[in-house]
Amino acid sequence: MKRNNTIWRLLRHNISPAQLTGYAVANLVGLTIVACAIQFYSDISSVWNDDDSFLSRDYTVISHKVSGLGSLVGSGGDSSFTPEEIADLSSQPWVRRTAPFTPATFSVGATLDMNGANMSTALFFESIPDEMFDIRPDDWGFDPEHPIIPIIIGKDYLSLYNFGFASSRGLPQLSEAMIGMVPLKISVSGNGKQQWIPARIVGFSSRLNTVAVPEEFMEWANSTFGETTSPAPSRLIVELKQPGDPAIKEYLAANDYEASGDNADTGKASYFLSIVTGVVISIGVIISLLSFFILMLSIYLLLQKNRSKLSDLMLLGYPPNAVARYYCILIAGINAAVLIAAIGIMLASGCMWHTQLVAIGVQPVAPWTAIAVTTAIIAVITAVNILSIRRTMVRYFKS
Amino acid sequence: MTRLNAITLEGVLPEVFRGTNPDSEIWLSQITFTRGEHYLIHAESGTGKSSLCSYIYGNRNDYSGKITFDNTDIRSFSIDRWCELRQRSIALLPQEMRLFPELSVMENIDIKNRLTRHKSEAEIMEMLTRLEIDGKADERVARLSIGQQQRVAIIRTLCQPFDFLLLDEPVSHLDQRNNTIAASLIMEETAKQGAAIIATSVGNDLKIDSTRRIRL
Repeated sequence: MKRNNTIWRLLRHNISPAQLTGYAVANLVGLTIVACAIQFYSDISSVWNDDDSFLSRDYTVISHKVSGLGSLVGSGGDSSFTPEEIADLSSQPWVRRTAPFTPATFSVGATLDMNGANMSTALFFESIPDEMFDIRPDDWGFDPEHPIIPIIIGKDYLSLYNFGFASSRGLPQLSEAMIGMVPLKISVSGNGKQQWIPARIVGFSSRLNTVAVPEEFMEWANSTFGETTSPAPSRLIVELKQPGDPAIKEYLAANDYEASGDNADTGKASYFLSIVTGVVISIGVIISLLSFFILMLSIYLLLQKNRSKLSDLMLLGYPPNAVARYYCILIAGINAAVLIAAIGIMLASGCMWHTQLVAIGVQPVAPWTAIAVTTAIIAVITAVNILSIRRTMVRYFKS
Repeated sequence: MTRLNAITLEGVLPEVFRGTNPDSEIWLSQITFTRGEHYLIHAESGTGKSSLCSYIYGNRNDYSGKITFDNTDIRSFSIDRWCELRQRSIALLPQEMRLFPELSVMENIDIKNRLTRHKSEAEIMEMLTRLEIDGKADERVARLSIGQQQRVAIIRTLCQPFDFLLLDEPVSHLDQRNNTIAASLIMEETAKQGAAIIATSVGNDLKIDSTRRIRL
């Protein structure tokens, strides 16, 4: 050990602790930013990838713009989508999949019995594929043998009733659970037939502004009571790949479509978040890169200052790699310390935002991606450093 | 490790002398140095004796012509091969000595000796005693006189196995008495190893029995 120290004592001459500290701090800052950004992004992405969460894949409902008088007088304003329009929409790069709203082609009326007071109203039904719903009630489905219709209505309808209608008419306000217990009777008629079917409201959707029933029921009822065959859909539900993509807006404007959805704003938020994360990661990478150049300059300066010592050692018969080893160990040591510190800081600060994420129901993900990326960055920096030190040593050997 | 028996120079000329035709027994001539012999190379200052040592030691190659070790052109040697040669076959005492001033006498010698563990600490101490610098063993080299430094450098050069000992003005700063002591130490070590001595000088010759005196 004492013997090794002799060479180290020679070679550590001219090492500038200030320069190395400067590098370490700069690289630590850059690497920590990268690590935190990646970790935060993965935590938040888990929200996007989760179907039930608030930032889940975005859906939007697209319809033709209702235009002027034509629709008012009931003629010419055909707002249904042609198969060509649907195909064109489906082929857009920002569309993951589309599904039509299937309208009922029969008449629907509803009656509910509240403490002997009968209320009845005309109603409409629509259906969409099950997987497009944001909620999935347990008894969603329909069996014609034991008919009972589960219904999902838009959350807005309940608000409209509770805060608009009920409060102004002195009627009781209803909670979601209470509505579920209200017995409804639905009159389905058309095609010369009529049938009363019990129904229940099983859920409230914030995505769909409609009165929705299971597709099984819709198929059965349309075929039994329907007056036309396979009606053209007038609204489409679209699942978006990249919510908030500006191309969506352009496409809708160009085709005179209107969009409504439950989370157009969160879509924009998630789009914005991914841009911000990209910017932050870039800043971290740039800081790391700059610090890497500080280190390279510092090392070159050090080798230059110690050049005669290095040449003399090689003149004595020391191989270039043996001489380079001391500096390589130094660099590897500093970089390892920077890596461990960056991961430590990332985990510590992760804990701070994790508590807040958990509070809004988001489960943080394991930090492996962030650790792997930062380790890879440090590995590349270290490898390039060691290679250039060795190459410089070989250059010094020849002179 | 096979031993190195012959170093041959064929029409070698330093690039700085290109276009000239120096009156020399080495430059642009054919000469072979053989293991076991002692050569004294006389030169005036600026005729390229340090260059000659550097060419043979492999740390410079700014020459035309060909240098061979046992018939192999040394330009073909890899870095590893040179390191091996410098540890086992050729020892060089550069004119400027190349000691590390911040290290002690003993550390300077050990930094060479540890490569091959050629000498024990006792043997090194004995050599220091013979050259009358044993009292300076733990002194930093920077605080030694040039003559003392030259003696340290001589001992360091001897701390490895070698077939050829290249001494570039080894006694330029030594008085006659120390020259004689150093010469006998060098002769002994060389005889032990069956090696050759190639010593240069500009006037103060190393006091060895030379088989051949060459004019550079």
